[in-house]
Amino acid sequence: MQKIVAENTWKDYSEKKHSKPLPLKGIRVLEVCTLVLGPSGPGCLSRMGAEVIKCEMPPLGDTLRGLVPFGYWFREQCTSFIRPNPNKYWLGLDLHKPEGQELFRELAAKADIIEENQRPGVMERWNVGYRQIKEINPGIIYISKTGFGQWGQYATENRPSNDGAAQAFSGYAWMSSFPGQRPLKSRLYICDSYGALMGEVAVLAALHYRNRTGKGQFIELSQSESIMRTMSWIWPYQYITGKRAMPSGNRDVSICPADTFRCVDDTFLALAAPAPEEFKGLCIAMGKPELADDPRFKDHLTRLQEENATEILRIIAEWVRIKTAEEVEGLAEKHGFTASRLYTIKDVVEDRHFRERRFVTEVDDPLLGQFLDYEFPVMMSKSSPRVSWTIRPVGFDNEYIMAHHLGKNEDEIKALYECGALGKWADVRGRRPSSDWDGKTGLIMARD
Amino acid sequence: MEEIEGQVWADWIRERNDPKTPRTKPEALDDITVLDLSYNSYAGCYCSSMLAEFGAEVLRVEPPQGDFIRTCTPYGILYKGEGLNYLGEGRNKFHITLNLEKPDGREILKGLVAQADVLIETYRPGVMDGWRIGYEDLKKINPQLIFASITAHGQFGPMSASHMADYDNIIQARSASQYDTGEILPEGKTYDEYPWAVPTKAGPWIGWVESGTHMAVGILAALHWRELTGDGQALDVASEEAYASIEDWAAVWYQGAGVVNERFGSLNTAGWLYCFAPTKDGAVFLGGLRLEMWQAFADMVGKWDEWGAAGWKDLTPFMEKDGQLKWSALVFTETRKYTNKELVGMSVEYAKKGRLAPITPVVAPVCSPEEAMQDANWLDRGIFTPIDDPVYGKLVVAQTQYKLTETPIRTKWVCRPVGYDNGYIYLKYMGFGPQRLKALKEAEII
Repeated sequence: MQKIVAENTWKDYSEKKHSKPLPLKGIRVLEVCTLVLGPSGPGCLSRMGAEVIKCEMPPLGDTLRGLVPFGYWFREQCTSFIRPNPNKYWLGLDLHKPEGQELFRELAAKADIIEENQRPGVMERWNVGYRQIKEINPGIIYISKTGFGQWGQYATENRPSNDGAAQAFSGYAWMSSFPGQRPLKSRLYICDSYGALMGEVAVLAALHYRNRTGKGQFIELSQSESIMRTMSWIWPYQYITGKRAMPSGNRDVSICPADTFRCVDDTFLALAAPAPEEFKGLCIAMGKPELADDPRFKDHLTRLQEENATEILRIIAEWVRIKTAEEVEGLAEKHGFTASRLYTIKDVVEDRHFRERRFVTEVDDPLLGQFLDYEFPVMMSKSSPRVSWTIRPVGFDNEYIMAHHLGKNEDEIKALYECGALGKWADVRGRRPSSDWDGKTGLIMARD
Repeated sequence: MEEIEGQVWADWIRERNDPKTPRTKPEALDDITVLDLSYNSYAGCYCSSMLAEFGAEVLRVEPPQGDFIRTCTPYGILYKGEGLNYLGEGRNKFHITLNLEKPDGREILKGLVAQADVLIETYRPGVMDGWRIGYEDLKKINPQLIFASITAHGQFGPMSASHMADYDNIIQARSASQYDTGEILPEGKTYDEYPWAVPTKAGPWIGWVESGTHMAVGILAALHWRELTGDGQALDVASEEAYASIEDWAAVWYQGAGVVNERFGSLNTAGWLYCFAPTKDGAVFLGGLRLEMWQAFADMVGKWDEWGAAGWKDLTPFMEKDGQLKWSALVFTETRKYTNKELVGMSVEYAKKGRLAPITPVVAPVCSPEEAMQDANWLDRGIFTPIDDPVYGKLVVAQTQYKLTETPIRTKWVCRPVGYDNGYIYLKYMGFGPQRLKALKEAEII
């Protein structure tokens, strides 16, 4: 193997990432978002150094704060809330109140990006819609993320939506099942996470355009449309053949062989070997080198045909059934095809490779303590994204934001609390600090 | 709804965002040139598509025989000689050929690099370096270059030396989300009896898509940073990390409680009400992650009193495993009484007239992609509008998935045959006329 010069580029990356500049330094983002589709987008930007102010309705805040696996709370905080919300500033702001709306507009006047996932028209009713904000800040990039977009039949019917609805509507779940079985929902909030990520492509493209022209704009994102964009062959296939695309379980119908197989110990292994040298290597590993020259399997397009694919997958399944995953992984490395046991979450968290790359990274948070989080998975050699701190109770940074960003004095801040424009957490788990909090730790600016 | 500028919001925004309006607006990235060298990687193609949709000039560089990914097509089907996955992901790109295994080919690449902003590549770590066209080599030619590598395991770390390639099903396997997605194996049963009650991957190439889209976001952030500093840099995406990174709670659960998350069918371990439910004619998704929405569901199916919904204080009892199993059984008994259409209608009606209106549960039919492609809502919004491609004719690929008021994305063409744009692109960038091209072709360089 060639010497990897790239190792010079990445030498010390993991150790030094906190002493490098951040790519989105200086970019200010306001989010009025709940659950996963909304907050995950700004969560990408905040990992890359944008200053994200998360506006939550006091005292309960983001709905996601209450959603935990089988009732499990992590150090009295919400397990699910951590990943989408690193490095943010936490503002408890009631947008129903005119004074709250005014505060938002003051912040918006100095912001670069606004992200929201209320139903269509709600932000406008609060006097903070795109048409109202662009009057005070024409350069604003404003993204609204919903199930169905801002117009069309479903938007007009004001239908609520969420990840599962998009998995259902798009055909994504239907295509992710075994033939003849019930459609299966992904256990990931895939349409939320993916919609949010794709939204950031548009936001950053718009930022580039603004850097060139000074012009802002409004971006409309639909969760269902985002996930439909990922479904590649399915749409042209249906248009060209007039046939309905069919699910195929774990088999990849576009790559052959590529499937999940059962090992001797009833664990599972994914394997792929489509390229000529990979397929040849697999055949050798199976002790059947002659299969590589079999007319049914001689090239990829031939092998992909239904009857041929079924046959080669059957042969491989028989072979894997008497092997362990480790044995097949070793043979794959040796013979140049690809195989991997199915990772559990334990495998991911503890994987040596992920740890050495610090993709799985230690966070030492003043409130939540030490734990492992995932970095934004784009390593950048000169401007490295990273997680510095994590979730906070509702309204935790109110005083800091008011004083630092808007220059409010103590009396003004007091008045904003009194009229209800500002608020803090309810005495409810997931909203309030953990019981061992000393009333000071983590505050950038104390209230008293 | 209030009018601003003489229109309600929905009309105002539709007038600006409807993809059916003429494509006369500017493009956000039309000042950017991208070299896409990706090989056997849908992630790379998808990444450059994200940029090409916004108007970036993407030069798709393939070896003379074409990219192997073109042969990755369902059931081996070709349409006018093209694989169906590649058919949509060549969109807006100029397709050229270049033999990077030959020194003369690499010299030509350097000429292109000197004129490019971004380079995307997906070779195994070390391959580009071995050809002396890795980041350390190319930054000498163009210090502003953003050099974006997408690979299975990334550019450094113990697994980066692995010879194993980057495939979607392997990404899914290594992210943990295949392991814990799937039907529950009934107690006392075996996989032989229930071969579908196993860890189940997503059908679409979501692993590749996640890594490609993450890289597109990284490239755009690096472009912004370059505008601030003038510096290019190298970017590294490991596909398995990109897909693993979107998991929301299991990693924290494992750290805190030592629990390894297992399959839970179409229920949701981390929230209620949130599941697929069987109906008279199929299945629907039900969502109500706030107590009021779950109460609204109980009310909508006429169980407000019987289930004691008025007395529910919070969702805690429903989120525990036993609670989920017990209540999902009760819910499914109700949903089986109705068709998908009836349930969706009930939810829309409930938002208007129900006891808790406008609060209503989310009810969505579980559609096949065939039904999705016929849904009037999506047809109206333009995502399935056929494209009239100059080479491949009329085709449907998913497009205009997001709508922007100033710089809408667009699909100008869907794909190109191998080397289709050699004449134009080599003339434009390298000054190679027909005679020179002929010679390079004979020398097997392009």
